[in-house]
Amino acid sequence: MFRLLIVAAVFVSLACCLSASAQTTGGLITRLENAAKLIRDGKLAEAEKDLAAILRTNANQPDALNLLGAIRAQQRRYGDAETLFSSAVRANSRLVSARVNLAQLYLIQHKTQNAIAELNQGLQVEPENEQVFDQLQSLLFAENRFDEFIKLVEQRRDTHSLTVPLLLSLGDAYLQKKDRDKAEKSFQFVLEQQADDADAILGLAQVALLKGDAASAESHFNRAKKSVADSAITLQRFALVAWDLGRYEEANLALIEAVKLKPDDPSLFVALGTTWFKKPDPVEAEHAFRRALELQSDNSEAQMYLGYTLFLQGKYPEARELLTKSLVKQPAVPQTYHYLGLIAQEYGDDQSAIQFLQKTLELQPAYVDAHVALGRSYLNLKNYPLAQRELELAVKLNPDDSQAHYQLAVLYARLKDPLRAQEQMGIVERLKEAAKQTKKPAPAIAP
Amino acid sequence: MVIKQFIALVMLALFVVQTRTVTQVRNPAPSNQTQVTFTDVTKKSGITWTHNNAQSAERHLPETVGAGCAFIDYDNDGWMDIFLVNSGSSDFFTPTTPLRNALYRNNHDGTFTDVTEKVGLAGGSFGMGVAVADYDGDGFQDLYVTSYGRNTLFKNTGKGTFVDVTDKAGVAAPGWSTCAVWFDYDNDGKLDLFVSSFVYYDKSLNVLCADEQNRRYYCIPRHYKPRPSHLFRNNGNGTFTDVSAEMGFAGVAGKSFGAVATDINNDGWMDLFVANDTMPNFLFVNQAGKKFEESGLAAGVAFSQAGRPRSGMGVDAADYDGDGWQDLFVANIDYEFFSLYHNDKDITFTDEPREIAAATQLLSGWGLRFFDYDNDGDPDLMLVNGHPDDFVEMHNARVKYKEPLVLFINNGGTFKNVSRDSGDVFARDFAGRGMATGDFDNDGDLDVLVSNNGEAPLLLRNEGGNRNNWLGLELVATKSNPAAAGALIRWEAGGVKRSRLKTAGGSYLSAHDPREVLGLGTASKVDVLEIRWPRGHVDRFTNLTPNRYMKIVEGSSK
Repeated sequence: MFRLLIVAAVFVSLACCLSASAQTTGGLITRLENAAKLIRDGKLAEAEKDLAAILRTNANQPDALNLLGAIRAQQRRYGDAETLFSSAVRANSRLVSARVNLAQLYLIQHKTQNAIAELNQGLQVEPENEQVFDQLQSLLFAENRFDEFIKLVEQRRDTHSLTVPLLLSLGDAYLQKKDRDKAEKSFQFVLEQQADDADAILGLAQVALLKGDAASAESHFNRAKKSVADSAITLQRFALVAWDLGRYEEANLALIEAVKLKPDDPSLFVALGTTWFKKPDPVEAEHAFRRALELQSDNSEAQMYLGYTLFLQGKYPEARELLTKSLVKQPAVPQTYHYLGLIAQEYGDDQSAIQFLQKTLELQPAYVDAHVALGRSYLNLKNYPLAQRELELAVKLNPDDSQAHYQLAVLYARLKDPLRAQEQMGIVERLKEAAKQTKKPAPAIAP
Repeated sequence: MVIKQFIALVMLALFVVQTRTVTQVRNPAPSNQTQVTFTDVTKKSGITWTHNNAQSAERHLPETVGAGCAFIDYDNDGWMDIFLVNSGSSDFFTPTTPLRNALYRNNHDGTFTDVTEKVGLAGGSFGMGVAVADYDGDGFQDLYVTSYGRNTLFKNTGKGTFVDVTDKAGVAAPGWSTCAVWFDYDNDGKLDLFVSSFVYYDKSLNVLCADEQNRRYYCIPRHYKPRPSHLFRNNGNGTFTDVSAEMGFAGVAGKSFGAVATDINNDGWMDLFVANDTMPNFLFVNQAGKKFEESGLAAGVAFSQAGRPRSGMGVDAADYDGDGWQDLFVANIDYEFFSLYHNDKDITFTDEPREIAAATQLLSGWGLRFFDYDNDGDPDLMLVNGHPDDFVEMHNARVKYKEPLVLFINNGGTFKNVSRDSGDVFARDFAGRGMATGDFDNDGDLDVLVSNNGEAPLLLRNEGGNRNNWLGLELVATKSNPAAAGALIRWEAGGVKRSRLKTAGGSYLSAHDPREVLGLGTASKVDVLEIRWPRGHVDRFTNLTPNRYMKIVEGSSK
């Protein structure tokens, strides 16, 4: 992957050189072309020798600096490469190929913001450069910078007709911004070009869901079913809509198909795992999350979800390990701290549990389950005033939280206040009954 | 991008899932580690009796919850005999051929002889469980058999036979009884009797529970009304007085299965912990023999941590972490997690199943016991499992009707699943219900008897537990209750101090060998042995030779 990226950058570099560097002489162009070819052929030493010769006569020759930067990048000498690309840009601020190479380098180094800045600069120099536009729009979208993405694409629309994939992305961006009308227009525009485009139909279903129009969403969803099977991305979207419609089985089946089409995509396995979890089939969920981690060992979402799944199965040591790992990339997910708190409770370590749960509440003060768990830890530590504070807060936040009422009942029973304990248990019973009314009876029996 | 959206949405859904779920229970792959194992010697022992669960198309609930088993030395020859409970006639069941319980006499060579008819223990009721004790202090072990219907007190005549003295004793407790516990709640030196009551049930009350194919299955007990349990005070003259009302039991209706008597607050009075099915468990705290106070809620043992009642079945009590306080265990049904309640020393408990949770989540547990199977001195744990619904596999792919036994070894207060390394029998599945431990071959390590629903029982011989040294105690009370229930045994060997409270009841519908086998590890003698009897006297012995059974009479030490 890495190698392909750099070779592509070199290619861009060469193509741009020929058209952009008007000040270069014919002989120099030939020498630069030759150096670029040597790089493409993997003859880096020879290319470097030629480029060094050019730079000896003109130390600031931008194309030579750019190509030498490409060689350093291939050698993974990123610091040197960055210096060379930057020098090329300083020498010729209109040398877009150097900016693109710099952007690629930043991406390799996970400096996404810098990459976007370079591409923006490049596009200002060459507004018609398709490659720069494509890279920039996809990067903005991937980074959830939807306002910039929309602005960029809408500007483009003034002078170009947009491709179907770009229109779909535009629709998705508007969906993210909750701009239902513009999202709808984008998807409809796709359908004007391709009447059976499943992504666009599913996009309309998403718009309908956003409008609260479940009937229309169902209708679009059913229409999309006919043409959904051939693309992993479309199947993902199908699963997303199915999930929103409460059709978990279909979401699950779509993702099963999606991972067959794209078996090396860890995010797909993460999504599949969540649908297995919902069924609930934690065994399959565990398999899916584990597969995601096989494909990408530092996938923090997979770590997090697998951690949750294992916790719920009572596999506490591994759950703790994974949840802790997931914090490296996702340090601000309140649920992760909540689960780590619950695991600490399972091991009777209420002091640690309190720390995790307090962290949860720092991130999300109205997290009811964390208040309940914190109350329970204080209860375990016989710190009844703090337990009462947390549990009463939980009930205030959600008067229908039966766990909070139950813990309050335990608290009052321990405080020798049987009447209040009974009153709380009465609420627990009522809530349980109410929950039963809304639930379909389970087929299983269990004395 | 779509995936990102998807994950953001499903995250919320993931967090609201309340049910804990887990993988199919398969014990881990065996290793070559040499350790204590259990061997199925049922066939070799000559036990041929099979439980008849009376299963009918109507799926009456009593069919699926029985039955129990016991180790009992009925003829005082020093060898454990075996008693097995069977179903019988009831309002919903008329056997086509007569059914009977079974008493197998120990032949002292690993085999048993069926002496049921000769001794008069065939019974005939729809039997559930059994409790064994010398209730009248005549030196012979008596049997109390609980039933769906009328319970029976079989008095051991001392001449190799039993007689039904139920009516005279006043302990029939009609209805549906499950577990029974002999213990001395008022420390008067006589054995009283607690009898767990299950739901109000008769043929006409059977609720129709059926699946989409119209197949009837066993209903969840939630459909039936709870009943209060009974406490009978021993009058000392062969009769009992029902003291359920005055002692605080009559007003507390439950759907009670397992019960264990233990002293949870170290005050010298035996308390009762009772598992309830689909209802909160009861912790009856003994108020100096004057009354019991039900404290399950405040103690934290009534409900799950989420405040839900679970399907409690088997129970036991032991000080598993050696801190001097009795901890509690309850086996629940699949997906509920079994409970290991650690005693916080102030009549509160914290549920900390830890490693047991993952190993048992799909299991439904019944018989169980903390016992030191490897004689290293600390209590290990064995669980007998089986789902009550014989159709369960048709609607739950991960849960089975027949389930494996599970054995946990105690490693310094934490438990490790060692089932796969502990014998082939752990790779098999059973409709397990009752479980009793006892040293039937008198070799110093505890063997296991398992009663299965609708199947033959299992006799498992402990192989290698006696590689560690041990000392077997037969406690003979003179002033305390004949079972010595509530006695505190302290011993020191090889520089290690240990203690064990002699509990009563526990497991499920079953009765254990009353002798206590103390694990000594590699210590070559017992430096100090101290018995604090239930009525307060302390006997102390020093420098005892290991690897033998010894009789200790209350008040006999100098």
